[in-house]
Amino acid sequence: MDDDCIIRTENLVKKFGEDVTAVDNVSFEIERGEVVGYLGPNGAGKTTTIKILTNLIEPTSGRACINGIDVNRYPKEALKDVGSLIGVPGVYGYLTPDEILTYFGKVYRMSKEKIERRIEDVLELVNLSDWRYSKIESFSTGMERRLAIGKSIFHEPSILILDEPVLGLDPEGIREIRELIKSFQKKDVTVFLSSHLLDEVSKVCDSVIFLYDGEMIERDSVERIDQIMKQYRVIEVEFLDNLTESDLQKVRKIPVIDEVTKINQNKIRIIKNEGNPASTAEILKKVIDEGLDVISYSPKKSDLEDFYVSLVGKKGDAR
Amino acid sequence: MKSIKEDILEDMKNTCLTVSFELKKHFRMKRMVISFALAIGLPLIFYIVPRIWASFPETAEEFANLNLSFVNLLIIISGSLFAGDAVVGEFEEKTGLLLFSTPQRHTTIFIGKYIGALLPTLTVVTIYYLTTSLEIIGIYGTEGISLEFFKSFFIALVYTSSAVSLIFFFSSILKRKITSTLLGFFSLMMILPIVSSVLQFLVEVEPWYILTYTEGLITGVFVGATPIGGGPGGQPGQFSPDFYQGITIMVVYTVVLFFLSVFISNRRRME
Repeated sequence: MDDDCIIRTENLVKKFGEDVTAVDNVSFEIERGEVVGYLGPNGAGKTTTIKILTNLIEPTSGRACINGIDVNRYPKEALKDVGSLIGVPGVYGYLTPDEILTYFGKVYRMSKEKIERRIEDVLELVNLSDWRYSKIESFSTGMERRLAIGKSIFHEPSILILDEPVLGLDPEGIREIRELIKSFQKKDVTVFLSSHLLDEVSKVCDSVIFLYDGEMIERDSVERIDQIMKQYRVIEVEFLDNLTESDLQKVRKIPVIDEVTKINQNKIRIIKNEGNPASTAEILKKVIDEGLDVISYSPKKSDLEDFYVSLVGKKGDAR
Repeated sequence: MKSIKEDILEDMKNTCLTVSFELKKHFRMKRMVISFALAIGLPLIFYIVPRIWASFPETAEEFANLNLSFVNLLIIISGSLFAGDAVVGEFEEKTGLLLFSTPQRHTTIFIGKYIGALLPTLTVVTIYYLTTSLEIIGIYGTEGISLEFFKSFFIALVYTSSAVSLIFFFSSILKRKITSTLLGFFSLMMILPIVSSVLQFLVEVEPWYILTYTEGLITGVFVGATPIGGGPGGQPGQFSPDFYQGITIMVVYTVVLFFLSVFISNRRRME
């Protein structure tokens, strides 16, 4: 196996009962020091994959390995150097941050001195120093979240698996976590980060894996996706009347249009496959020529979200 | 690569960590205080009330019999408090998302949780017996502490283990802490005793396999209701548990339910 491959899934499948396939044949590798975003809408299978990677559930078939060790067979060895935050965990309200972190420090076999030092550092980092000896039951959701993040980095792991880390945080908290993740990049920490907030991911990740309906639909570097998206132009068009299926077909037939998605009854999103401004004007002309009454026409800068939408659209068409 | 010995030692350390974590939980949630207060307070009632308003029973055995007839209640209350939420709490409160993703075998965590529930319950029973023994010594002198008293203590400890195993089992299969705690409490307090009574008095069959029936041995050793080694017997509707059979049943309940609970908890996942 490749020494640099830190996280690897091989044909991972997770079924719940006979009918629900939460993760469908997902395979990927993450190398040392990479910060990888795992993207998809709610219910795409992100958390399920992460739960398998942290031994909270077992896959129906396939394997999940960390540092080459099968997580579900040898969790003790595989998870030794992993810090994780999964979903919105409960945080033992009757204890204090000091007690919780001390317990987990012992689980990770940290020395007393290191536990003491890390409690100070981590609580400082997540802005909970003043609350070190307060019972967690008096904490707000954001504070609990920050403590859970603190727990995940407490033993200075070289691998971080984070599921929706900014969920429940205020804008300031989100910015702090973003900076924190960026600081890990510099320390060669491997980060696997799931989110449905595509904008957040684009700000911190080196590459992204797109998941849809349990299947991995694309993997690419954020830089390359940016390049691709420069080729695209997104235009949102609002019409006077509700659109029929034949109206949509007329728009789809216009050359240079790659994708048309209905936003609501009278609004569509157009993705064109090249960046020439002349074609933007040309599309507007053609739409009007088709007899559709346009009340607003807004070319937009495309982003990761548009890229994802176009991927999902292609996936839907393929089906 | 670790040797098997190192691996086992590490697992034991993890179990000890869970035990201390559980004990801290019980302490913080005031369960320890409540149980310990009951363990001292209940026997004191049997000392103070006769001292002020009546007189003590003639013999130490009678006093012990009267006093220890309430130890079962204490076992059920403490067992429910300490074991009721042991496993289910991690799933219901989602604290398991923090705990189970750490580098520990889940089995070591669940064993730790079991011990963390058993230890304080055993301690509570021990305190109850200690308080009672001090009262007996105070009233009847040291000769009041008979061999039967120690036998009763031993039975109470074994019964405690089986009661904790039963409640821990409910905790491993149910989805709500409150359901698990209440089911554990009412099973030992009402459901099993009712089944036992129905079998004894209506069907006229000795319910030797029912856990709460064997609990009768705790005080049964004092009044001679149980002919030790005599086997099940007596008139229909007047059964009394046999010492060895009762102990065996308690041990079977303890071991089987413990292993079953750990197995089920292990299979249970944070889904």
